[in-house]
Amino acid sequence: MDYAFFIEVLVGGLLSGIMYSLVAIGFVLIYKSSGVFNFAQGTMLLLAALTFVSLTERMVNFWVAFAITLMIMVVLGIIIERTVMRPLANQSLLSLFMATVGLNYFLEGLAQGVWDSAVHGVNLGISNDPIFLIDKFPAMGLDIIISYFDMAAAGIAGLMILGLSLFFTFTRTGLSLRAVSDDHLAAMAVGIPLSRIWAIVWAVTGVICLIAGLLWGDRVSVSFTLTSAVLKGLPVILIGGLTSIPGAIVGGLIIGASEKLGEIYVAEWIGGQGIEHWWAYTTALLFLMVRPTGIFGEKEIERV
Amino acid sequence: MNSPDNKKSILVLKDISLSFKGVKAITDISFNVYEGEICSVIGPNGAGKSSMLNVINGVYIPQEGTITFDGKEFTKMKPHSAAVMGIGRTFQNIALFSGMSVLDNIMSGRNLMMKANFWEHALNIGRAEKEELEHRQAVEEIIEFLGLQSIRKTPVASLAYGLQKRVELGRALAAKPKMLLLDEPMAGMTMEEKLDMSCFIQEINRNYGTTIVLIEHDMGVVMDISDHVVVLDYGKKIGDGAPDEVMNNQDVIDAYLGVSH
Amino acid sequence: MFYREAGKLVGSFGKDRRMLPLLEDRWLAVLFVAFMYFVVTALASDYMFTAILIPIMVLGVATLGLNIAVGYTGQLSLGTAGFMCFGAFSAFNLILRIDWMTIPLAFFLSGMIAGGVGIIFGLPSLRIKGFYLIVSTLAAQFFAEWVFNAYPWFLNYTSSGVVSLPMHHYRVFPGQENTPFNAAFWNSSQGRYLVTLTVTILLVLACKNLVRSNTGRNWMAVRDMDIAAKVIGIPVAKTKLMAFFISTFYCGVAGAMYCYCYIGNLDFMIFNLRRSFLVMFMVIVGGLGSILGSFLGAIFVYAWPIVITRGSDFIFGGGAIDTAFIENNSKIVVGTIIIVLLIREPGGFAALWASSKQKLRVWPFAQ
Repeated sequence: MDYAFFIEVLVGGLLSGIMYSLVAIGFVLIYKSSGVFNFAQGTMLLLAALTFVSLTERMVNFWVAFAITLMIMVVLGIIIERTVMRPLANQSLLSLFMATVGLNYFLEGLAQGVWDSAVHGVNLGISNDPIFLIDKFPAMGLDIIISYFDMAAAGIAGLMILGLSLFFTFTRTGLSLRAVSDDHLAAMAVGIPLSRIWAIVWAVTGVICLIAGLLWGDRVSVSFTLTSAVLKGLPVILIGGLTSIPGAIVGGLIIGASEKLGEIYVAEWIGGQGIEHWWAYTTALLFLMVRPTGIFGEKEIERV
Repeated sequence: MNSPDNKKSILVLKDISLSFKGVKAITDISFNVYEGEICSVIGPNGAGKSSMLNVINGVYIPQEGTITFDGKEFTKMKPHSAAVMGIGRTFQNIALFSGMSVLDNIMSGRNLMMKANFWEHALNIGRAEKEELEHRQAVEEIIEFLGLQSIRKTPVASLAYGLQKRVELGRALAAKPKMLLLDEPMAGMTMEEKLDMSCFIQEINRNYGTTIVLIEHDMGVVMDISDHVVVLDYGKKIGDGAPDEVMNNQDVIDAYLGVSH
Repeated sequence: MFYREAGKLVGSFGKDRRMLPLLEDRWLAVLFVAFMYFVVTALASDYMFTAILIPIMVLGVATLGLNIAVGYTGQLSLGTAGFMCFGAFSAFNLILRIDWMTIPLAFFLSGMIAGGVGIIFGLPSLRIKGFYLIVSTLAAQFFAEWVFNAYPWFLNYTSSGVVSLPMHHYRVFPGQENTPFNAAFWNSSQGRYLVTLTVTILLVLACKNLVRSNTGRNWMAVRDMDIAAKVIGIPVAKTKLMAFFISTFYCGVAGAMYCYCYIGNLDFMIFNLRRSFLVMFMVIVGGLGSILGSFLGAIFVYAWPIVITRGSDFIFGGGAIDTAFIENNSKIVVGTIIIVLLIREPGGFAALWASSKQKLRVWPFAQ
């Protein structure tokens, strides 16, 4: 067995898995603070990417476009929270989920209506060249290739996680967010302004969507196929636990690795390409059978 | 009142200990419940009474101890087995099926006696209709007993709290249980409702011979209807006997008056 | 409003339990069925059959199936189209490879096969709860999309990936060749309509029976509070698996009908995730836990784009608004309706129907 190749596939998988984690983090944030499983996450990502791309294609400066899109995403997040989430606040979680499914459909129609189905490119200026480890670090003796882009994306994701962790642990708002996610009735009782917190959460998610959308856009180009690539964020959070950001990372690594490994080593046996989707979900399924609430997810204790 | 001497124990709890992640809810509790009696479990809040009931019917699994019901011994009970063996239960925070009507909720209590399979149900052949009508008849008797006729088709979610508690009692009764575990059946009720509920409990005990274990805070009710009282405090048993004895027990008085111990 | 409902007393539990306790309702039902069988078959146009009646019934059955899992038993399932796919392919292969296979039997068996698949993918529900459960049905969905593509045997090695269903597949009863009800008849839009109508009516009746029986009560108990259900002796695991089985049975039959009666082709590309979501929308819009709602939802979500197209053609002349706009518009509208409905009337159209009926009952007095 070709170990170097195996490691290359593995590492490639791990890194690409981080890309999935980027999507997953947005899911986790919202779920953690409001218990809402935001199905529209993928479409929000797409909207962010499309907005940015429309601006840059009209020769708007990169950073200006970034800032404008950021504002739009924040506003979008707040609008969603106000018009969709707030009125549904006291209904069942299933209803809230259905609402995000409806929202997703709505945003899709909107996006398709405003932008056509053309494929756009995003160029973030991050090189797509492969790194030949054997050349850079000859001492390690590993004859493998790593994608520079994936590494950069992993780095950005890492920074984002760090930022979020610091935010949650050390700021007042972050503390309030954690309180709200634990028990929002209790949080209300101690005077935490619930709707402001939720608005903040959705706004932050908008930011995450932008960053993730841009990275994904550069990687696979911005088009409606983005939403299905993003669907893989689901098994990521399901493995990691709906309420855990570290879980989103770990889940991403697992899904990314298993996907690439499955593609190379398993696909030939069972005859066929395109196993990636159900493979990812089956991996998640197996993990969930062992840990029904995800690796780091919280176990719900039902009191009778 | 019945004395324990000549009575058979329907439920024997031995050395039950239960903890949740380091918090010990129940420590080494043992007591017997005698067949056909009304046994009240009392104690200050947080004493472990509901947890005790949950252990008896398998919702919680104790770390130590054994449960012997009707002669069969278990270290852990499963809720389904408890139901099959004839242990019925009502809950502190009403556990009715909110999407169904009163009639359907009580009918669901008869599910263990319904034998038809889903093919028979789908085609409405064979045992399906016959069973449905048979059990409807039995359930109607319970509805009459509890005075729920006028609301039988009402969705339970829209009923007042006191009525919901009655429906829950009806559902537990529908299974013709040998022993009924009632968790604070009179909580939040008015004087009248409490009177009704006490009457129901006593009638059930008298007419069907069902053993009743109930958690109750109202001392008046406890003294009135119980044959046997068990007192818990901080997860330990501090009293066990006839109502009068227990009420005069200094430890029990201390527990209720909050004397530090 | 048209006939008095109050004051009609029943004399026995059997009569109380009837599907339609009022005599007038029963007459209406009989007339409706007769109308659908005789009047519509004779008078409706091909377009009515193929573009309106048949798809609505087929989608309604699929929605009913999903409603059994989600609405009655509270188990989230996003694999509807995948199960429909299993049904369609099973039916095709059964009819193709077994000489004496007829359409009704094939539909039934394909439902059973889909049901079997449903049980397998429903097994995780015994351990996994809540949103985490979607992983299982999504796995089923993507698996279905992959397996029929990867193994061309299922498509009888057709190179194009789409099989046009041949005339001789339309065997409804043995010895039909010499009667007017031969394969050509069953392949015509009237024939397909009759098959769809019959299957739909039978499945709706079965569903109604299930829902008002002990099986239905068990489902709803598991949905409402499964700990309490366990405590009163309901076999929760068996109930969940049963719900998956029956739900996917319905979806499987719907899938078979979709190919044989609606589009006339076998094409696995149509059973994609989008379609699963579409059926989910139909359930939400129509009303969770309602048989009538399933069909109302199917009608609305399916017919909306048609209404817009036809309406705009009528008002502005043909082809005034192009299809892409309609598609996007219908997404926006359906998405909005879902959100608005969830806010105002979580019970969907079925609940709206019930409350309008109530208002009509007391009209012109206020509620």
